[in-house]
Amino acid sequence: MFKMAVVEIPIGPQHPALHEPIMLRVKAEGEEVVEVSVNTGYNHRGVEKLMEKNSWIRGMYLAGRVCGICNAVHTQTYVQGVEKLMGVEPPPRANYIRTVVMELERIHSHMLISAVVAEIVGFDTLFMLIMRDRERVMYLKDLVTGSRVHADIHIVGGVKRDIDEIRRGKILDELKVIEERLKYYRRVFEEDYTLAKRLTEVGRIKKADALSHCVVGPTLRASGVGSDVRFDDPYAAYSEIPFNVVVRDEGDSWARMMVRLEEALVSVDIVRYALEHLPQGPAVPKAFPRAAKVGEVISRVEAPRGELIYHIVSTGGGNPYRVKIRTPSFLNVVNTEFTYLGHRLADVPVIFASYDPCISCTERVLVIDERRGLRRYLSLRELARWGAT
Amino acid sequence: MGVSIIRYSPWIMHFNAGACNGCDIEVLAALTPFFDPERLGVKLAPNPRHADIIIVTGALNKKAAERLRRLYEQTPSPKYVIACGACATSGGVFTDSYPVFSRADRVVPVNVYVPGCPPRPEAILYGIKKLLDKVAEGG
Amino acid sequence: MAELSVGSYSFREAGPRRYVAPVDLERLREVVELLVREDSYLSMISAVDLPKEGAIELNYVFWSIKHRAAFIVKTRVSRERPVVPTIVDIVPGALGGELETYDLFGVVFEGNARLRRGFLVPEDLTSKGVYPMRKDAGV
Repeated sequence: MFKMAVVEIPIGPQHPALHEPIMLRVKAEGEEVVEVSVNTGYNHRGVEKLMEKNSWIRGMYLAGRVCGICNAVHTQTYVQGVEKLMGVEPPPRANYIRTVVMELERIHSHMLISAVVAEIVGFDTLFMLIMRDRERVMYLKDLVTGSRVHADIHIVGGVKRDIDEIRRGKILDELKVIEERLKYYRRVFEEDYTLAKRLTEVGRIKKADALSHCVVGPTLRASGVGSDVRFDDPYAAYSEIPFNVVVRDEGDSWARMMVRLEEALVSVDIVRYALEHLPQGPAVPKAFPRAAKVGEVISRVEAPRGELIYHIVSTGGGNPYRVKIRTPSFLNVVNTEFTYLGHRLADVPVIFASYDPCISCTERVLVIDERRGLRRYLSLRELARWGAT
Repeated sequence: MGVSIIRYSPWIMHFNAGACNGCDIEVLAALTPFFDPERLGVKLAPNPRHADIIIVTGALNKKAAERLRRLYEQTPSPKYVIACGACATSGGVFTDSYPVFSRADRVVPVNVYVPGCPPRPEAILYGIKKLLDKVAEGG
Repeated sequence: MAELSVGSYSFREAGPRRYVAPVDLERLREVVELLVREDSYLSMISAVDLPKEGAIELNYVFWSIKHRAAFIVKTRVSRERPVVPTIVDIVPGALGGELETYDLFGVVFEGNARLRRGFLVPEDLTSKGVYPMRKDAGV
C-alpha cells in the first residue's frame, strides 16, 4: 500500500525589502503542508552596525541600499527622522518631489510582484508583458532622479534635484499610458481563470489573525484592516494630497494582489495630483547640518510592502548612536508560518509571493522523499506547478 | 573546443549572495523583451548543471557564500563568473561589514566585474558580451 | 493630548502621534495585554545598548489603530543578566523581533522556545559568543 512520506522541503528565495532573505523549511505529508519554519540570515549585511560607524549623511546611502526596490522609502524614513533630530524642515516643493519618487517606486514595485506571481502560476506571457510596461516606470524614475533603481534623491533639508517643466510634462504624458496598462492588468487579475483558481482561497488570513501576527501593508489591508501610514501618520506631502486607502476583506492571495493593483492606480493619481499642484519655491537646500541634537525619534513610512519603521537615537555628534530598522517584510514573512498549513505544496510559493517578498524566480528547492531515499532539485516554478495538469 | 559553444548561447544562472535586490531586478530586467537578451543567445539556466555563466550579486553574505561555493562546484566546466554590481565587485557600501565577505572573488574565481550600483541592464549585457569575447580569444 | 492613559499606565506625548511610557520589567506583560486590547499591533522591538549605564533598553513600539498613534513601552534589562519575559504568547507577531534581538544583543526572552543563535548572525561570530550589536562586540 502506498504510504505517505513526510517530505522536508527547504524553499530558499532571496529577499527584497528586508535585510535577510528567507529559507522556508516545509514539512509535508504527501501533498499537504503540516509545518513551516523560517530560516534567515542569507541577506544580513549588518546595516545597523554600519550606521553607527558612519556619519549621518552616509547613513542616507546605507538606508537606501537596504532595498533596491523600495529604496526611496528607506531614505525618506531615515531622512525625515534625522531632520527632526537636526531641527530642519524641508520646503513644501521638496516634500512633493519626495512623494512623486516614492509613489513611482510603489508603482514599479507592485508591477514587479504582479509579474512574479503571474510567472509562478505559469502565466509567462503576463510576466513578460507586465515587465515590459514596468520599464516605462523605470524610465520615469531615471528622468526624475537620474537613476533607474537607487533614487538617492533625498538630502537633509530637501531633495538633490528639482523637476523642471519639461520633465514634469513628460511624466504626466507617460502616466496616461501607464494608467491604461495598469487598468488592463487589474482586469486580467480580476477575470483570468487560471489566476483566480491559483490565488483565491489560498493563504487566507482572518482579520484577528492579521492583527495578532502583526502583518502590515497590502497583506493587512487585504484582510479588512484599513491601516496605511500615509493616511494615519502622514509625512512628506500626503497630508495635502487626497487619496483612498485600498481595503479588501477576502484575506487571500488574490485579495492581496488586487489591493496592490488598485493601489498602483491610486499612486498614479497621487503622482498626477502632486505634479499638477507642485508648490513654487526651492527644493534643493543650500546647506545642511552635520550633527544632530540629543534625542530619539520613531519614524514611520508606508513602503510598498507595508509599514517601514526606524528608531533613531542621537547622543549629539556626527554619527548616530543607534539606528534600528524594521522592514515590512520582516513581519510579513517571518510571522506568517501559520498561513501555509493545510495547503498543498504547490500553493506554498504562491502564498509566499503574495506577501511580496520579491523572490528570485530561479530559486531552487530540495525535495527529499524519505521513503524512497530520493532527492530532487526543483525550481520554485516547478514546485508551484507540482501536480498541475 | 567546447568553449566556442558558449560563445553563441550562454546560459546564465543568477545568484543573489546577500544583495539589496537592486542588481537583481536589473539582471531580471535584462532578461525581458525590452532589452532582448536572446539576440545574444542569452537564457536563464533552469539549474546549475545547465549553466555556463554564474552572475553573482550582493556583498557575499557569509551564509549565502557557502551556498554559492557549492553551486559553483556543481556547475560543470567550462564555467565563468560575472560579479555584478559594486557589492560583488568590492563590497560596495557594505565593505567589511561583519556578516559579509565583501568581494565575490574571495569565494569563487571571477572573470568579469560589472561595476555600478546597480549597473544598468545594458551594462550587464555588455559585461556578458565582454566575457564571451574574452572566452573566444581564449581568455 | 499631552497624556493618554491605558489602564493604569500613563503615556506621555513625545511628539505628534507618539506616546511613551517607561515600565518596570515585571509589568511588561500586563501593559502589553492592555495595549493589545486598544486594537493595536506590535510594530517593532528596538534594543539600545547602554554600556555606560550597564543596561540594554528595550523599546516595544505598538501602533494603535483605535487611537491612530504609536505607543512606546520602554523597559530596561541589565547587561549582565539580560532576561525579559516573552510576549510571544500574547502577541504571536512578536516572534521575529524577539529572535532578532536575542541574536544581535543577547537579550534572552524567557519562555520563547524558538530562540537560537544564527537567526541572522553568521557562524564565525556565533561560535565565539559574539553579539554584534553590542557596543563592545568588536566587529
